[in-house]
Amino acid sequence: MQQIVPGAVLLFSAPWPMTCYRIETMGKYVIIECKELTKAYPVEATMVHAVNTVNLPVNKGDFLVILGHSGSGKTTLLSLIGGLTSPDSGQVFIDGVENWRQSDQALSTMRNSKIGFIFQFASLIPTLSVMENILLPLSFCQNPAGSRVLALDILAQVGLADKANAFPSQLSGGQQRRVAIARSFINCPDIILADEPTGDLDEETEKDILALFRRYNEQGTTFVVVTHNSDLAATQKGARVFSMRQAVLTPQAG
Amino acid sequence: MARHNLEKQLSILDFALSSLWRHRMKSLSVLLVFAAVIFLLASFQMVTQALSDKAKQVLAHTPEITLQKMSAGRQESIPLAYGEQLAGIFGIRRVVPRIWGYYFDEVRLANYTVMGLEVNEMPEGGRLGATLAKGVMPGPADEAQGRVVVGQSIKKTMDLAGRTTFSLFRPDLSLKPFEISGEFSPDTDILTNDLIVMNVADARDLFGIPAGLVTDLCVYVANPKEIETIAKKISEALPSVRVLTRSQIQKTYQVVFGWRSGFGSICLLAALAAFVILAWDKASGLSPEERREIAILKVLGWETSDILAVRSRESVIVSGLACIVGMTAAYIHVVYFDAALFRPVLMGWSVLRPDLHLLPRLAAGDILLILAFTVIPYLAATVIPAWRSATVPADSALGG
Repeated sequence: MQQIVPGAVLLFSAPWPMTCYRIETMGKYVIIECKELTKAYPVEATMVHAVNTVNLPVNKGDFLVILGHSGSGKTTLLSLIGGLTSPDSGQVFIDGVENWRQSDQALSTMRNSKIGFIFQFASLIPTLSVMENILLPLSFCQNPAGSRVLALDILAQVGLADKANAFPSQLSGGQQRRVAIARSFINCPDIILADEPTGDLDEETEKDILALFRRYNEQGTTFVVVTHNSDLAATQKGARVFSMRQAVLTPQAG
Repeated sequence: MARHNLEKQLSILDFALSSLWRHRMKSLSVLLVFAAVIFLLASFQMVTQALSDKAKQVLAHTPEITLQKMSAGRQESIPLAYGEQLAGIFGIRRVVPRIWGYYFDEVRLANYTVMGLEVNEMPEGGRLGATLAKGVMPGPADEAQGRVVVGQSIKKTMDLAGRTTFSLFRPDLSLKPFEISGEFSPDTDILTNDLIVMNVADARDLFGIPAGLVTDLCVYVANPKEIETIAKKISEALPSVRVLTRSQIQKTYQVVFGWRSGFGSICLLAALAAFVILAWDKASGLSPEERREIAILKVLGWETSDILAVRSRESVIVSGLACIVGMTAAYIHVVYFDAALFRPVLMGWSVLRPDLHLLPRLAAGDILLILAFTVIPYLAATVIPAWRSATVPADSALGG
């Protein structure tokens, strides 16, 4: 049961008319909405679908787990939601604003203020220290001192308070992953898009990170996590679980 | 809003500076190569300008019109009687004979420029004294027979060791003795370095030119604004005579320096082209790490314009520093080392190279030209690839 609520605040200035509305589903606020989302890539002479006609409403505060094997299209779906790649057809709305009808500037602002990305690999800049990497999303913020305090706090939460001045090359793969996770939280985003977030982590650290996710989720942060690890879904109470097979997204029962 | 923009610009500058520091070896090597290219170009431009200025300054004292007899397209001696044929042309102040030739010293393998002048007959002959470092200009034949004024290199080349006399061979191999009565100032070296000035009679005797003939007739006019008109009238009166105005001679000197400068510039262009190609190759082939860095910044919410701003600030810092270093080094090279690298190309007509000190001049237009040839290609070579990389979807560079 969907209801469109008009008159929502236009968050970004755009030179053309934009579809901007707030969707409420059964009283819940829809923060991500994928409609008929399709993306295909050329492979030799044919086009192969990575994402095929995906319809997905995500409510604010949801914890979504998308399970699937390698090459099933999970990462592409995440890129489409995050506005990193454009769909061939269909639409993605973040907070009621359609991603690809925004200017590059507005899309960047949206990514910077609303979304935290955790990639499949540790996406750190090797010539920057841990602290500098974490502060990258806040490079143009107006309170650098406050940002450093926040960064140190998040680093402590991922167990790397003593590594603020280390460089990525001085960290293990798991530690680099935790730095990337810390960076995704630095701008207090509404949405975390995570691609195999616990891939490189040992069991103990994985538990700590998932506990951290849970804590942020309880505070209202929306998570979309893609993984091939079905245990991850089991550890998150109330998680909505989907499976992705051959570019098609289907909800998992139970 | 304005404060936020200022803070953002400062953040971009800070990131650009730290990025240059992070890649300090690469930045330093680009800076050094860039500075070397600017140094070469600026040195060349400064030397050319300084030489042209100096030549212009010295040539200001030459006769307004010079006449030379031409036969079969070649210059030959001109009869003094031609001067009398010009008497009817209104506006001519005086016609003065001159002998100008070259003497090859087979012992020292040097070519001297010999000029026979009637200084007392020249309207501004007295001012020639100002070009001397010491002594006086030779007077008429009956008063100053065998007296000469020499350029700075002549004494050195002849190795006179304090003596003031020397001899040169006449065409019949008999020796003609001379006595040095003065020396030209080093400031006029560009034209007087290899010059020996004597009176017309001595020059005629040295070269064996028959009486009644000279190499040139110098025409002085009353009103400088009428030079071109008078030159035209002389051409009509003496059709077999080549009429050279002072401005034409000045133009010839400018062309000579321009040609030499152009020749050198073409050589330098090769270095410049190599630099631009290197910069383009380096920048357009962004490494996977650099592409990934741009992609990460985009994912984290940096706008394409922010990434370009960082890249352009980096380039402006590198090219600005390179300009300062290169131009300062060029100035030092020209002023303190007398453009040692380019002297053989730009100076000297004969084997005697002038030993003059140059005062460089670099006009705003020259600086802009150098910047246009160096900074703009470098900016393009660094910013365009970054722009291309920043406008493709970020996920293509991140790839799982």
